[in-house]
Amino acid sequence: MQHTAKYVSILVILVLVLFALALLNISLGSVHIPARDIFSSLFNAEVSKETYRYIILDYRLPKAFTAIIAGSGLGISGLLMQTMFRNPLAGPYVLGLSSGASLGVAILIMGSTLIGGSFIALALSKWSLVIASSIGSLIVLFAVVLASVRLRDTMAILIIGLMFASLTGALVSILSYFSPAAQLQQYIFWSFGSLGDLSWAEVGILSVFWFLGISLAIFCIKNLNSLLLGEEYARSLGVNISQNRMLIIIATSLLAGSITAFCGPIAFIGLAVPHLIRQILPINNHLILLPAVILGGAILMLICDIVAQLPGMEFTLPINAITSLIGAPVVIWLLIRKQKFQF
Amino acid sequence: MKKLGILLIFLLSFSCKDIGKSEKKTTNLQGQEIEIKYANGFSITQFEDYSIIEVNSPWPGADKTFKYLLAEKNAQLPDHLEYDQKVNIPVKKIVVTSTTHIPALEELNEIESLKGFPGLDYISSKETRKLINSGAIKEVGKNESLNTEVLIDLQPDVVIGFAINADNKSFSTIEKTEIPVIYNGEWTESSALGKAEWIKFFGALYDKSKAADSIFRGIEINYNEAKKLAETVENKPTVLSGSMYNDQWYVPYGNSWQAQMIKDANANYLWADTEGSGSLSLSFESVLDKAQNADIWISAGQFTSYSAMLEQSQHYSQFKAVQDKRVYSVSMSKGETGGVIFYELGPQRPDLILKDLISIFHPQLLESYEPTFFKALNK
Repeated sequence: MQHTAKYVSILVILVLVLFALALLNISLGSVHIPARDIFSSLFNAEVSKETYRYIILDYRLPKAFTAIIAGSGLGISGLLMQTMFRNPLAGPYVLGLSSGASLGVAILIMGSTLIGGSFIALALSKWSLVIASSIGSLIVLFAVVLASVRLRDTMAILIIGLMFASLTGALVSILSYFSPAAQLQQYIFWSFGSLGDLSWAEVGILSVFWFLGISLAIFCIKNLNSLLLGEEYARSLGVNISQNRMLIIIATSLLAGSITAFCGPIAFIGLAVPHLIRQILPINNHLILLPAVILGGAILMLICDIVAQLPGMEFTLPINAITSLIGAPVVIWLLIRKQKFQF
Repeated sequence: MKKLGILLIFLLSFSCKDIGKSEKKTTNLQGQEIEIKYANGFSITQFEDYSIIEVNSPWPGADKTFKYLLAEKNAQLPDHLEYDQKVNIPVKKIVVTSTTHIPALEELNEIESLKGFPGLDYISSKETRKLINSGAIKEVGKNESLNTEVLIDLQPDVVIGFAINADNKSFSTIEKTEIPVIYNGEWTESSALGKAEWIKFFGALYDKSKAADSIFRGIEINYNEAKKLAETVENKPTVLSGSMYNDQWYVPYGNSWQAQMIKDANANYLWADTEGSGSLSLSFESVLDKAQNADIWISAGQFTSYSAMLEQSQHYSQFKAVQDKRVYSVSMSKGETGGVIFYELGPQRPDLILKDLISIFHPQLLESYEPTFFKALNK
């Protein structure tokens, strides 16, 4: 009981930190906007310059929302994968989802020159990128699901996911080799990840996928807890392992697939957030872990985005680099301090 | 790796010097330097029986000057002549590696000497495409990894390379087969006329220095006349340039050749006071803050229509230039195999680029002018 109160208070603190960081996130950027204008924009009052209102309402605010959705969604994907595979190194990348998405986008952008014609114009459309990325990760997902039906061993699925990643990586290399500089550049920029280029409509669609994925994860909480004790034990508790596995894979795909489609592949968050949260909340109950990871992922992503914007500078850094740059040393430091993974 | 490349070139340069030493005789060291007015990357000195081209900026930040000896096959060469590569002139068979080299060959009436090119589809010139379609010009792979076998089989008199650093393995292999590779650093020039002046480099290879000189003079005169014409107008429009990838906006620096041309076309480039090499990468919000009211937007990426542009990002709709439909791009002038004509012909014809820009910035000055590269986006 005492523990529960402690956990709840930690969750409340995380909510407050998230709120403060979200405010900080929209108030910082390359253009200095006075605090008065920020609030005026938010409450539809008069601003000293109309551009400010646009930057706040249509650029920074959707970006902050995207950061929250992407961070929490990837964090949850990581948690689901780590629990399912009982492997601390698992993350949304291991199912080959990100590599599938990369291949889809690579074929669209770089394959267009090989096919030519109107396909090139199509490649420029943002929706086509989202669709290609989703198709790519769905194909890999189907392959993994097919494999998981036949295989009883979760480790084998993990290895199959990694093999798919190598396979798609090789195909992307071949495409890159034959692509002209402009197409290559476009692909590379996609692979840097980006939070800042989404319209409200796109944020809306992303939220729907996020909601579905998170709901499925919540639905699996009980089974996730029993999975931690081992598949055999879970089975003895009456958990339908293969059905549960399917649900977890679908939840991860909905979350990681849609986020990768809209924001590009974002490294590290999925892997790091569950570990970071376990350092603050040393428990295995997913009922607490799940909301904590949602909050933690959102917080970490907002911090990364603030750093990527380099407040006061005119340029920004690619989000994909920042997530690893910030996340990796933090995890290393925490692990060295605590000596071991708490899992 | 880079060190290895430098070492290789160093060793090669020594081996070439040995060849040089074996061909000797008269000593006439008083050469006459050909006038190079704008280009900083090369010089040509003519001697009685031979000439020397020195290329000092084959790639950005190069710390080595390449010395190329151009001489007729049986020319009498002085003792102790040091050089990196020897080319027998006039060149009869050539392989070039950048589309920007094509217009120079055409202007000099030597396009039929072109025997191979990496990436034939990038070439847009109608005249050259005819030769490609007839099979007279062979595909030789990609610049960074040339198909060495095909290239050696062609036995060109010279390969005109361009490199981003000293590490091009393909070129080292070709040099070993005694086919000289010489670097053209026109793309590193910081001024538009400087780029165009590299036609004199090709002129020397074909023993047509006079013709090259007069072609360049024509371009220079046209350019300066256009510049003068633009100066007659007082009203300077404000100009935004470059394009956005994700939420990064790439704009040319204020000291770049693009910015110089906007200035010469008498317009006010919004980042004219920035200095650097490459292009400036800015966040969307800082570009919007500065350029929301810019009158004109040029070089808007690969977009060919406003609808494609807005589909990519609705943020573009915030710019006055987009609202007023004053966005121009070079992506619409393409050759039959999809190559963008601007990238091929532009460096050789800054006078045409300048006229295009003047017709956009000050339409009243060139009323019936049909632009070569820059076209307004489709609806």
